[in-house]
Amino acid sequence: MRSPFAYIPRRGPLQSARPGAAVSYLGALVAVAFLYSNPVVLLAAGAAACLAGRLAGARAAVRAALRLGLGLAFLIVVVNALVVNRGETVLARLGDWPILGQVDVTLEAIVAGVSIGLRAAVTMVAFAVYSACVDPDRVLRALRPVAARSALTATLVSRLVPVAAADAGRLRDAARLRGPGAAAVGRGPLARRLLAGSLDRAVDVAATLELRGYGLGGPRGEGRREPSRYDTRFYAVAAAVVAAAIAGKLVGADDFRTYPTIQVGLAPATVAVAAIVAASGLAPWRRGGRRV
Amino acid sequence: MSELAIRRGAAPALAVDGLTYWYPRAAAPALVDVSLGVAPGEFVLLAGRSASGKSTLLRAACGLVPHFHGGEIEGRVAVAGLDAIAGGPGELARAVGYVAQDPETQVVSTTVAAEIELPLEMRGDGPGDRARAVEEVALALAIPHLLGRAVDTLSGGELQRVALAAALVTRPRLVLLDEPTSQLDPVSGDELIWLLRRLNEEWGVAVVLAEHRLERCLAAADRVVAVVAGRIGFDGGPREFLGWTREADQTLTTPAARLFSLAGIEPLPVGVRDARRTLGEAGSSFAGSATAGGGRVDSGGAVGAGAATAVPHPGKGLSGEVSPPSRLPLRGRRRNRRDEAALLATGLWVELDDGSGPRDVIRGIDLAVAPGEQVALMGRNGAGKSTLLRTAAGLLEPAAGRVAAERMALLTQNPGDYLVRERVGDELPGEPGLAALRAVGMEHAIEADPRDLSGGERQRLALAVALAGRLDGDGVPGLVALDEPTRGMDRGRKDDLVALAGRLAAQGAAVVIATHDVEFAAEFAHRVVLLGDGVVIADGPSAAILSGGWYFATEVARVLDAPGVVTPEHGAALLAARASELSRHIWRLSSEAPRGGRP
Repeated sequence: MRSPFAYIPRRGPLQSARPGAAVSYLGALVAVAFLYSNPVVLLAAGAAACLAGRLAGARAAVRAALRLGLGLAFLIVVVNALVVNRGETVLARLGDWPILGQVDVTLEAIVAGVSIGLRAAVTMVAFAVYSACVDPDRVLRALRPVAARSALTATLVSRLVPVAAADAGRLRDAARLRGPGAAAVGRGPLARRLLAGSLDRAVDVAATLELRGYGLGGPRGEGRREPSRYDTRFYAVAAAVVAAAIAGKLVGADDFRTYPTIQVGLAPATVAVAAIVAASGLAPWRRGGRRV
Repeated sequence: MSELAIRRGAAPALAVDGLTYWYPRAAAPALVDVSLGVAPGEFVLLAGRSASGKSTLLRAACGLVPHFHGGEIEGRVAVAGLDAIAGGPGELARAVGYVAQDPETQVVSTTVAAEIELPLEMRGDGPGDRARAVEEVALALAIPHLLGRAVDTLSGGELQRVALAAALVTRPRLVLLDEPTSQLDPVSGDELIWLLRRLNEEWGVAVVLAEHRLERCLAAADRVVAVVAGRIGFDGGPREFLGWTREADQTLTTPAARLFSLAGIEPLPVGVRDARRTLGEAGSSFAGSATAGGGRVDSGGAVGAGAATAVPHPGKGLSGEVSPPSRLPLRGRRRNRRDEAALLATGLWVELDDGSGPRDVIRGIDLAVAPGEQVALMGRNGAGKSTLLRTAAGLLEPAAGRVAAERMALLTQNPGDYLVRERVGDELPGEPGLAALRAVGMEHAIEADPRDLSGGERQRLALAVALAGRLDGDGVPGLVALDEPTRGMDRGRKDDLVALAGRLAAQGAAVVIATHDVEFAAEFAHRVVLLGDGVVIADGPSAAILSGGWYFATEVARVLDAPGVVTPEHGAALLAARASELSRHIWRLSSEAPRGGRP
């Protein structure tokens, strides 16, 4: 079974754009997530990443990333609530805990955790959309002329990851199919077997690379300029998002304070930045083709 | 040598001279004093048993040996004039293409287009040349519709074509293929062989093809080279090769040649067309003759009235119509007791998602297999064979319907996945382990390291791992299922597997084997269940199913076109019966003719 994050070739704008344009666009959303703490702007960045993925046809990747990202966000919220005692609105006093000492759960610590968790979730969704929509072959092709060895390693890894995942699935199935009278297989022997098998697989893949001429010292041919009419759009949107984020930061749009009491800024600048960031999610939109 | 010289065919496509090679730390050489030449545009078939040195020879011809594998090498290997030992596989890449057995590890890109383009990019071709070459090779291999697909969404047959395209895109002088059809169904396998022949004829590419199922490709070959224990045992034409196998190694012969040998007909045929022509010229046009009353086959598979040599074909006879599964009576020891079925599927639906959305892979299958039955599960790639077995073994959940299997042991396509320890006894401890080893005849190997066992022994050991604890008080398993167990096997090992399956079935186990190998199915199975797109499209005696079509039919069935005749022994008996009938007919005519008159 394929990973939901695996690249699926499509003819959408995000898939057609050059890797540089796609990375700039998604990178701008991640930059916003790291520049801002205000949950409104973070939610806008998250919505933009989800919308972009959905418009690009990477619904499964977005769904899987949301599951993982929100799970991670929840974990961060719980840990922050237990570890940070700051904040004036105490929701629960949980007494003395080993190592942690006195544990008071405060609303402020929870909201601070939400902000950090949202940042992680936005980053994960953006990476999921990148993984499902940006052709790794084109990325590697762009990388090869400047870093042949790194490109070789990345090529090996990008191929070995799905092969190793398939091998792990097969080994798990074989472990389940062992008769009840056979010795049980723990994780240790299974991991050792997978590692040994992966080494064999790596040798096979490396042999194929050799046969394709990889050992000749990298590409000597001129790079292919694949046509894309969407590059300008993604570069422009990325520039607009980054510019709005920086400008907003300068005029105080990231007004957010959690301790000692919560203060979430909803100034016009914050709303404007959030609106621009959210609207950037429409960048991969394509008008329906004309019927002939 | 310049590119132009290579294109003009100034040198032999492959020249091997006195090649001897040892793998690192190997006690014996894998190749011994091998000398071989392949002319430009020649189609050479490399035959030989498992581990005879075929793959090593191919790897030496593309530079992987010794550059990639290490070891010691003596002699000379040249590809299109390029020294393969001095240069590496990268240097040879412009002159030789290589396609290995496992398509999964011979793709290194994410999309098909990028995979095919990569060798051109590495060679330094310009963007325009690359785009054109990719387009042309895709058209030649009928895969332009795959160019935009991700490689991990392709079927085995599609992936093998993509690997072939990547090997051919540089227009090499020589293409080497190591059992490329071993994972393909008969349809895809035949298509690939004839595609190679077409490329060989139209593009002038020399082809060296290593294969075990020779009946599939012998007719396409100009020449056959047999490798025996690392040496060249035979080098000559296909027909001479068949003659050589009679004396040297009968496991390398084809079913049609064996049919002719048993029937005493010469010359031995190199393919179905050749065999039919020979029979036609001999005045024994059997196409239709068997159905027209002469040499009929009875339900037991023996030749009917007038047979000179009745050859029994137990359990594989033409015992009636081909039944849909719901009407199929359970056969075997405990027949007519449906509740005792070793495998029972009723209204079974299984849904899988390969990334392109959920799809019904099994669609409402009804199937019952009785204890003691030997059943071959057949069908093209993706028909649902493996899914059916995996669902019966509990690895997959049915979407609807039910499936029940009694003490089922399933051996999947890679027996090595079952072996994770370094001592057989550690894999199979205690009395249940010993009983399982006894069931597969491996009790002597309890102290061995699984890695030291032969391929066939490892397969039996993996089966024992699956059987352990699933034997009844008499040491009899309920259902033994094997998924594509004959990949890469020579005929000797297949015969061993047939014997093992027969022994288990004789003890009372139901044995179900999913296979693409029609010749193996004809030897092993009493019943064949043919799947197509998730439904049972035919279910009946193996002799009926394997003689009733073209792709899912044995070579003997295609030669004789006689219902129920699928094996060489059976076919030879039929030919003998026909010959006997003809001679009786001639004798009767001559005796009825007036003395002194004209006949």
